[in-house]
Amino acid sequence: MNEFEWRRQLRDLRQPLAPRRDLWTSIDALLEDAERTQEPVPPHSHEPRRRRLLAAVGLAASLLLAAGIGWRAWQHPTAAPATERLQAGAHWKPADPRFAGAAIELDAARMELQLALQQAPDSPALQRLLGRTEQQQTQLRQLGRQAG
Amino acid sequence: MSPASAGANDSDDVRAAAAGDRQAFQRLYRLHVGRVHGAVCRLAGYDHARAEDLTQDAFIRAWQKLPGFRHESAFGTWLYRLAVNVALMDIRARGADPVSTLDDEHLPDTGQTPFCAAEREELERAIARLPPRARAVLVLHDIEGWRHEEIGGELGMATGTSKAQLHRARGLLRKILGESS
Repeated sequence: MNEFEWRRQLRDLRQPLAPRRDLWTSIDALLEDAERTQEPVPPHSHEPRRRRLLAAVGLAASLLLAAGIGWRAWQHPTAAPATERLQAGAHWKPADPRFAGAAIELDAARMELQLALQQAPDSPALQRLLGRTEQQQTQLRQLGRQAG
Repeated sequence: MSPASAGANDSDDVRAAAAGDRQAFQRLYRLHVGRVHGAVCRLAGYDHARAEDLTQDAFIRAWQKLPGFRHESAFGTWLYRLAVNVALMDIRARGADPVSTLDDEHLPDTGQTPFCAAEREELERAIARLPPRARAVLVLHDIEGWRHEEIGGELGMATGTSKAQLHRARGLLRKILGESS
């Protein structure tokens, strides 16, 4: 069994599942109790602060990454084409939802290979894998166009 | 009616429930409980008793937060995200399997373990055996179809850490399936 087939099996697990008992009775009772005692909604005051902190950290990390890539491209001009290819074919979203999972997987695989190639630009194995992944992406796009 | 087709039809119930109509909320519960419980159950490692508690908690929180629901997304999507967040908070609260301590020495050698066909129940049992954080990343990415950026945001980890966790989880899963086959 190949990896894509294996991952398809995992995606097939995404199905609705009914609880073994009806939860509504206890939910209703809890809501009734809360209403009777006028229990206030628990505060979530830390959540916005945490999100703001995460956003700031994320922005700082993105800036560092961009600076690093820029520095590397300036130091090693041969690494630039990989970066350009990284951005060129990124994030194709098929109109047909049946292809969405495969598109995401291939996109992620391609980006990981391109990042790896920036570390080892002369690796024939990585180049071969990247070529094969891009070929599969092209085939998927064709299938997507045919499906309409 | 499936939750997907319910989007346009449940907005009256959403508004009524937000105004305090418990019967409208019950209809929303009936419509969406399957999708919500399915995701929560997978994240809880098919521990049905815990998943039922978490699903119940998710609906209580949804009721409390409904007056603030802005209709910017479908109610089903909002509820699903809220429920996933409840399940992830439970994982965080248990403090298990911290993401910062990936132990490479204990990583299975995934290169030597082939992908193997597995029955659905076998696959579910194998997922249940994964460490909670790694399982959360695998469930969200490989089953629920989330992107690493979204997973990182919800779990408070870097995108790269999410990718590393996914690699680890897939390796462990292959190893578990290899053992049981």
